[in-house]
Amino acid sequence: MTLTFTRPALALALALTLAACGGKATFPVAGAIEGLKYDGLVLSTNGMDLPVAANATSFSFPNPLSYGEVYNVIAKAPPAHQTCSVASFQGRTGVLYNGPTDTAGRFGAINIGVLCTTNVVVLSGTIKGLASTTSLQLINGSDGGIVTAVGTGADLTFTLPSVAYGKTYGITVLAEPADQICSVSNGTGEMTDTAPVNIEVTCVKKT
Amino acid sequence: MKNLTLRASVALACALSLAACGGSSGNLLLGGSVVGLTKPGLVLQNRTGPLLPVAAGATTFAFHELIGNDQDFEVKIATQPTGADCVLANNKGKSGAYNITSVIVTCVTQTRKLGGTITGLNVNGLVLVNGSDRLDVPAGATSFEMRKVADGAPYGISELPRPTRPACGVQNGSGIMGTTDIGNVVIAC
Repeated sequence: MTLTFTRPALALALALTLAACGGKATFPVAGAIEGLKYDGLVLSTNGMDLPVAANATSFSFPNPLSYGEVYNVIAKAPPAHQTCSVASFQGRTGVLYNGPTDTAGRFGAINIGVLCTTNVVVLSGTIKGLASTTSLQLINGSDGGIVTAVGTGADLTFTLPSVAYGKTYGITVLAEPADQICSVSNGTGEMTDTAPVNIEVTCVKKT
Repeated sequence: MKNLTLRASVALACALSLAACGGSSGNLLLGGSVVGLTKPGLVLQNRTGPLLPVAAGATTFAFHELIGNDQDFEVKIATQPTGADCVLANNKGKSGAYNITSVIVTCVTQTRKLGGTITGLNVNGLVLVNGSDRLDVPAGATSFEMRKVADGAPYGISELPRPTRPACGVQNGSGIMGTTDIGNVVIAC
């Protein structure tokens, strides 16, 4: 029932489009990008590769598709430090963007959504010398709460909430055992693409 | 005749209300949603009715006392939470036939200043961080102020290492933000 109605409607729409533009209905594969901050993103569909520059908020492939051609836009290469997905989502302005794949002409215009988020990297380290059954509280400034470690006599690993690429982090001791002094080495930095591996908290007996 | 019908319906209405809620004056719920409440101490009140404490972390509330049809209501904040400020919306009106769940309580946790003094800083390049908050401090500065921190949140100030300059020491750099501004962090260079 739906089909019997859809087909003539499509035919009519096509006929109108054809009439309107001299016999050539074409559909640019275009859309909006949110959150892109770095260079390197390459979008691809129907044999076309489209490099997208940092901070771009829209894209449009060079060659428009003809009516009935199927497209499937993929993020062929991610931008530096970010991950992008081609998906249907509601944009900040309330516009609903289409998903990555469909048939040209099913909508009046193709308006695909690309959403990019900055990668987050694990923030963890080692605790040495924490006396058994005593507890140590570590924080990364005012971001992400408090991590409590309880001494076992052996070295411990702690993990704070992950940090986005390019953000600063600064691990400090919020509370230490009454008779120990704990200090952090390599605890402050600017997050790179890989997790820092040399963060160490060392606790020693107060003298 | 008319009088009789009226009497009968009043009696019926009475009986229904009594049956529905064990003798209180109505059968409609009065409540709504709570947004952003992270601190304890909030107390709500409908007009001059009983007080309703709302716990930190709550996302909804409803008064224990039901209200009747066609009854005025006005939800008020009897006590603000400690360290947060709440405001009300859709809190005043007259009940109809349905439960009222449209009252909105929106709370914002208070923030406090985080800063202190700097001594001996005679070169550029000092960068202080409180987690993701980053502050570049120029040579000659004798004080600093980071971004504000929410009441009850931890803070920990440290220095971003720079190969070009020796490290400064940080005193009183970590703690939990209380009810007053912090200004006693000392950076000694």
